[in-house]
Amino acid sequence: MTDCQTTRREFLRWTGSATALSVGGLLPQVWSRCQAAEPGDSINDRILVVVQLAGGNDGLNTLVPIDNDDYYKARPGIAIGKGSALKLNDRLGLHPSLTGLREFWDAGRLAIVEGVGYPQPDRSHFRSMDIWHSAQPQEPSPQTGWIGRSLDISQSRQNDRREAACIGMEKQPLACIGNVALPPTIQRLEDFRLKQTPGQSQGLNSPRWSAAVPKPETVDASDLAFLRRASQTTLSAARQLERLVDQQTSSQYPTSEFARKLRLISQMIAADLPTRIYYVSLDGFDTHSQQLPGHATLLRELSEGLTAFLSDLEEQGHTQRVLVTTFSEFGRRVAENGSLGTDHGSASVLFNVVPPGRGGLYGAPPSLSDLEDGDPKFTTDFRRVYATLLDHWLQLPATEILSGTYAPLDFVA
Amino acid sequence: MKPSTFGPAEAFHLLKRVQFGVHPAEVDLAVREGLDNTLERLLSQQPESAEFQSTDQALRTTALATGNIQDLKIWWLVRMLTSANPLREKLALGWHNHFATSHAKVQSVPFMLAQNELFRTHAWGEFPALLHAVARDPAMLIWLDGNANRKRHPNENFAREVMELFTLGIGHYSEHDIQEAARAFSGWHLRDKAFWFNATQHDATPKTIFGHTGNYIGSEVLDLCLAQPACAQFLAGRLLRTFVTDRPTQSQLATTSQLITQHRYHIAPVLRTIFRDEEFFAAPQRQAMIKSPLDYVLGLLRPLGEQIHWRRVTTVLANLGQDLFEPPSVKGWEGGRHWIQSTSLILRWNFATEFLTSQQIAKVNTEAFSSLSEVADAELWCLGGTPEPQVHAALQQEWQNTTSADSSHATIQRLQFLVALPEYQLM
Repeated sequence: MTDCQTTRREFLRWTGSATALSVGGLLPQVWSRCQAAEPGDSINDRILVVVQLAGGNDGLNTLVPIDNDDYYKARPGIAIGKGSALKLNDRLGLHPSLTGLREFWDAGRLAIVEGVGYPQPDRSHFRSMDIWHSAQPQEPSPQTGWIGRSLDISQSRQNDRREAACIGMEKQPLACIGNVALPPTIQRLEDFRLKQTPGQSQGLNSPRWSAAVPKPETVDASDLAFLRRASQTTLSAARQLERLVDQQTSSQYPTSEFARKLRLISQMIAADLPTRIYYVSLDGFDTHSQQLPGHATLLRELSEGLTAFLSDLEEQGHTQRVLVTTFSEFGRRVAENGSLGTDHGSASVLFNVVPPGRGGLYGAPPSLSDLEDGDPKFTTDFRRVYATLLDHWLQLPATEILSGTYAPLDFVA
Repeated sequence: MKPSTFGPAEAFHLLKRVQFGVHPAEVDLAVREGLDNTLERLLSQQPESAEFQSTDQALRTTALATGNIQDLKIWWLVRMLTSANPLREKLALGWHNHFATSHAKVQSVPFMLAQNELFRTHAWGEFPALLHAVARDPAMLIWLDGNANRKRHPNENFAREVMELFTLGIGHYSEHDIQEAARAFSGWHLRDKAFWFNATQHDATPKTIFGHTGNYIGSEVLDLCLAQPACAQFLAGRLLRTFVTDRPTQSQLATTSQLITQHRYHIAPVLRTIFRDEEFFAAPQRQAMIKSPLDYVLGLLRPLGEQIHWRRVTTVLANLGQDLFEPPSVKGWEGGRHWIQSTSLILRWNFATEFLTSQQIAKVNTEAFSSLSEVADAELWCLGGTPEPQVHAALQQEWQNTTSADSSHATIQRLQFLVALPEYQLM
């Protein structure tokens, strides 16, 4: 990273001022990659993409236990046949829509974690989502999330300017809310442009605006402080993104909304913004009735979207820098219901697409005969996945962020 | 105890909470009438003007004729902005949020309209009557799969949300209570566009709910829920978050929950007591709510907009995350800080810029805001009172820089500055 340090020195000489460090939107492109990194530390170059599968993804029909009679007995109407699953080994096959994930598996890039959950599972979408977002199951109404607290820590370090962005989310996900950190939420690039009256300096463009919006004290948790932080974050992100050009890529993205969001992430990565954590959601997994066609469509969107996204990044030379992780608030009951669907369950499977080499099976498969209230018992605490991503991938202190020590898994070196 | 004064600041605070946007003339009227008479007017049915009635009828007929939910949104927005009963409309929205049902699944304008009329009819009436009506409401039967709840295949969707979101809240029932309640609601179906008790699909065997056992049917489950102590507390949270503060304290919840029990779930006297109390006007309750998109958008249109292009408004509201008749989930709109993220802030700013400068959304009439020439008035109207010294100083500077011979031009420039301030997002 000496290049960065040289660039930094040159940049400071060029501007003649250290205060320029805080005005991210005005930095020249060559500088911005370095801007996020601590000197001498190559780890901080890494990017994490979190994909939320909202609604409760049916893990058993996603990673199919093809040799398990209990599975086929419990799901006479909706089981995925052994013949149609994309076989990974004698025990498991992927849902037939997941051809892209299957290719990642073959390339040693798909790290599957089985039996992920938490004690005393909650079957409410909202509560369980809050638990996954906050990583604080003991907290009845959590106020911060695991990514938000990570940003609080990284941004309090002197030279660590890593940022996060929530792409296509209609509201700020709790996961990304810190005590101070409040990453921008960008639904669509075209909506993220400030309308301005040309040649005028009104409203946000008034030279008096920033004097009227003072930076809040770190400890100030009032609504006004929240709104001031949000306004400042938003203006700075809007000015960064003004430079984002719609660049051509040979990677063919599908037409889905999910793929559109991933494409925006790829553009932001290409523009070398200091954003290092991207958060994106694919919704509609609450498959209570007639689930086969809808679930197949969703998984295809997931698989095709990720395939296009990662081949785009590969073309840009970012394969070693990017890790994609998925989660859902819960899996679904082992037994199908009376409407050819499945009701809210608990422990389930999650996927990570990692740089080549560490693909494989992690966690442990839960039993389908020894159930708790109709659901498999979890084998692997979800905070072990977060600990892996924090400690090993982003190199942030997982124990502090998660308020406890959870053994990382081996899918990151 | 009643507040010691009820001047423009207090009237403005009250009106911002009970209706969508405030016109300066309405503040004058409230101050002249005094608090008690204002509340009496707000909480009793006022006659609607002939013009309102004919517009309302025309918009309703259009929506039913086209079957397009966008037309029904416009019908409701016009009511919100022009009805002589603005609190009834705000309560209707409160109940729409409480029993959040989406046209995305119901796919019927007549059903969404009928459900909306329920919310309006029962607005400040008895909550139990509303709950019972909603449980048999066709839109709700479709929305939460009542139709799919059959004797041998119970569907838990409605039973779960009745407890989690309509009456008790998480932590006040067990999974077992839900499974049993689902059986009690089995056979609550829809036929010929109306509620139908389908006896052949009803599970009439005994159920045990909250420790009581009986051959319960759905309506008895609703009464069991209403009899739980958690229900009044849960409803207290809803009323407080709709009218008083985004983050009710334990003590506010306890007081309001007592009021609800005391008035046997009759909403009007509960609200009257809340709004007559000095606590409602005390500092912690001022600027204690983040404006919803409706509060923000109609807040600009009510005092300033004429000849409104409603299609533009419905699009903006949808983009801002408050799409009437299409809440994001059965949990409704979470409100408070959930309204605010970068994209919605940019959209709020852009809406204000476009509205104030382009005439594309409505014709802007600044007559009512001539007093904005005084910084103190501007602070009262737009920022809820005098801000911190640094902000106040910035405003004074901005005012000096925006003097203009054309007073309407200056007002618009100043409004642009005010609505871009974080304080303006609060009410």
